[in-house]
Amino acid sequence: MIRARLRFSALRWQREAGGHSAGRTGPEGIVASARRAGAGARLGRAGGGGGRGPEVGIVGGGLAGFSAYQTLRRGGLSPDEIVVFDESPDPAAVWTRRARAIRQTHMRSESDGHCLPASFPGLAVREALKTGRVTPLLSSVANRYNPTVREFLAHVAELRERSGWDESVRPVLVDRIGVDAEFFSIGGVEVPHVLVATGHPGLAIPDELRGDPRAVHAYEPHEYARSVTVIGAGLAAATEWVNALAAGASVVSVRRREPERRRLNVPREWFSRRALDGYHRTGPAERAAILRRLLAPSFPPGTRWDEPLALAGERFRVEQSLNGAEQVICATGFRRGFQYDPLLRVLVAEHELETFQEWIVLDRDSTVPALTDERRTLALAGAAAQWAFPAADTLVGAKYAARGLLARVRCRTR
Amino acid sequence: MSYTLRGRVESRLASLLLPLAACCALSAALHLWWPLELCGLMAAVGVALDLQLYHRLLRYQPGWAALPLGLLELGLMLAFVRALGLEAPRVPALALFGGAWAVTQVLGQAGFPLLRLSYAADGGELGRLGVVSAIGVVATLASSAGFWWLRLPPTVHLSAGVHQGLLLIDRRERLVGDRGAIVRGGIVVRASGVTVKNVTVIGGEDGIVVDGVDHVVLDGVAVSGFALDGIHVRRAAVTIENCSIDSLGNVYAQGIDISYAFDKGMSHVMGCTIVGGQEGIAAHSVNVDIMDNRVSRTTLRGIAMTEMSMGMIEGNEIRNASGVGILCNDHSMCMIEKNTVVGTRAVDRHEWTNGYGVLVAYSSEADLRDNALSANPKPFGAIVDSVIRAR
Repeated sequence: MIRARLRFSALRWQREAGGHSAGRTGPEGIVASARRAGAGARLGRAGGGGGRGPEVGIVGGGLAGFSAYQTLRRGGLSPDEIVVFDESPDPAAVWTRRARAIRQTHMRSESDGHCLPASFPGLAVREALKTGRVTPLLSSVANRYNPTVREFLAHVAELRERSGWDESVRPVLVDRIGVDAEFFSIGGVEVPHVLVATGHPGLAIPDELRGDPRAVHAYEPHEYARSVTVIGAGLAAATEWVNALAAGASVVSVRRREPERRRLNVPREWFSRRALDGYHRTGPAERAAILRRLLAPSFPPGTRWDEPLALAGERFRVEQSLNGAEQVICATGFRRGFQYDPLLRVLVAEHELETFQEWIVLDRDSTVPALTDERRTLALAGAAAQWAFPAADTLVGAKYAARGLLARVRCRTR
Repeated sequence: MSYTLRGRVESRLASLLLPLAACCALSAALHLWWPLELCGLMAAVGVALDLQLYHRLLRYQPGWAALPLGLLELGLMLAFVRALGLEAPRVPALALFGGAWAVTQVLGQAGFPLLRLSYAADGGELGRLGVVSAIGVVATLASSAGFWWLRLPPTVHLSAGVHQGLLLIDRRERLVGDRGAIVRGGIVVRASGVTVKNVTVIGGEDGIVVDGVDHVVLDGVAVSGFALDGIHVRRAAVTIENCSIDSLGNVYAQGIDISYAFDKGMSHVMGCTIVGGQEGIAAHSVNVDIMDNRVSRTTLRGIAMTEMSMGMIEGNEIRNASGVGILCNDHSMCMIEKNTVVGTRAVDRHEWTNGYGVLVAYSSEADLRDNALSANPKPFGAIVDSVIRAR
């Protein structure tokens, strides 16, 4: 099968090189820089005397793409078999900016929340080995180990260094994926398997606050005024309550519902087949209802959050609507839905992909059914893959999608 | 970890492969079944808990839960070992269980996740490896059980009525007496792995002789009318339980005499009733547990553990003995617990027969605990460089 594809690819390249590019089927929806980068890639594939080109393309080089990349590498793919499309080679850049904005010091995820493909050794083991202390391991077995942001970023940097990530990254902005009979064209590169990990499609800001000079999103850099209103009820909101109180501000929490207290984004069994098997058997309406319930804002229980609020007394209160605060912090998370992601929106429109409300309908392994067959795979990771895995916007979720893709890559190359 | 039911069972059975291999090796090396019996019990208890309890109660199982769940399984294992009468030595059995538990933890936390990337997301399911492991464990245990069954000794039924002895048993077998089966003139056991059950023996120089063999079980035998010993054991490891020995009228007889088997395995005397004779139960240079027996009307000692013997003397009842109730003698080490010694009589003024409930003599050591010693001229004493530790 691979040989056949390579022959086909070589013929195409020859035809294009001979001035018959107009005869190509399928659109080339890439920006100019992508065309230039991609041309080289095509030449490499065809001119390499039958050498293998990239097998997998990852669109999006954030933490989701990075974690998926590690899984694919562990699955036996070399750096030159994977091509990652992102403008920045730093997988933690976006996430770090947001974490800094809310002054996050510790990860919400526990020892398992890392970018390595296997759950062991986790960050607790890493810290125990580095420090010679057993405390991280004991905390980890009690689910009380939350690594620091610094520890996590150091882990990402190490992994980036040793996994060959930078070799695979192409600084390309992808705004469209070309779909062919046997593979996909991205930035001029043809790959049979694609994982779209474009991340959250922008920050969510309530319409009534757009253009309001007092308003700032929690994930944008900001300081604190003397009186602050925080909108939202998730982890970012809770962090902002504590931050603003620590900065001496008086804080009003505006929220539609009482926040849930959960250690992780979703209840633990939702990370495993134990809950997922039933989830995958549900119909669209029921599944959407489950997702809305599971994805409701939450933050972990514990004195770290409760104590500052209790000590604040009159300086912290809950209200139903905005008042005259000097500063309004929108801890309202991200926009939800494929409609807000330009790449996915185009993909859905062009190929009439099945959707339900704001979700693209996926198979249980995070693949898009209409664009996946025995020759090619298009899978989603990150928030866009919640239809297959409710905790898709976690690192574990990214690895889930990558494993699904890997199984198909193996199946095809076997 | 949120296990699926299949994941729990597969993970458990796959984790058991290594301990099971160890059990097979141990059983083969020791020529004993207890390691395999323990492994089988571990698998059965574990899978039963997985099916009936853990899956229902634990939607998510944190890492720390392995400890209390391990202790629960250990408790159940010990209960089953006792209920089923498995002869597993305590320390090696605990070590085996502990080792198996440790292997399970290492595999569950590190081994399986490294081996199978989707291990956690799959709820502990191991795919083909899980199926192969489960088949491997079940096949090993089933073939072991089949082998055990094939190697069971043949059962010989002794019909009711009087059978003239001396009856010599020189092959591995189970001799089971029907109700009213009597052997006159004694039984001699000269093969290992023999069981004699529910047989009455009358007469003979010794009632039953076990000589130079191992793993002999005498269960529910009744012995009387012998000249020297009711049950005479030399250089052999035996289990004697629920026996009845009548030495009345024979002032020099010994009910049970187990001697010179220190290099053999542990012997056990449990639940026997012995009346009359010079000594009820005598142990010379052996490792033996003497438990829950009733000894009465002996003319020198009720129970004697002597000549560098070691073991427990526990839960026995010695009544109306002349001389000494319980004797720990001649460099022996005895744990004497929860016995009742009542109505011992002094035979003469000699220290050795002066009516001690418990006497520890001649460089011996005894730990005494919770014994009821009453109506004895001297409740207990230590003589000739001996030590009593009362707890």
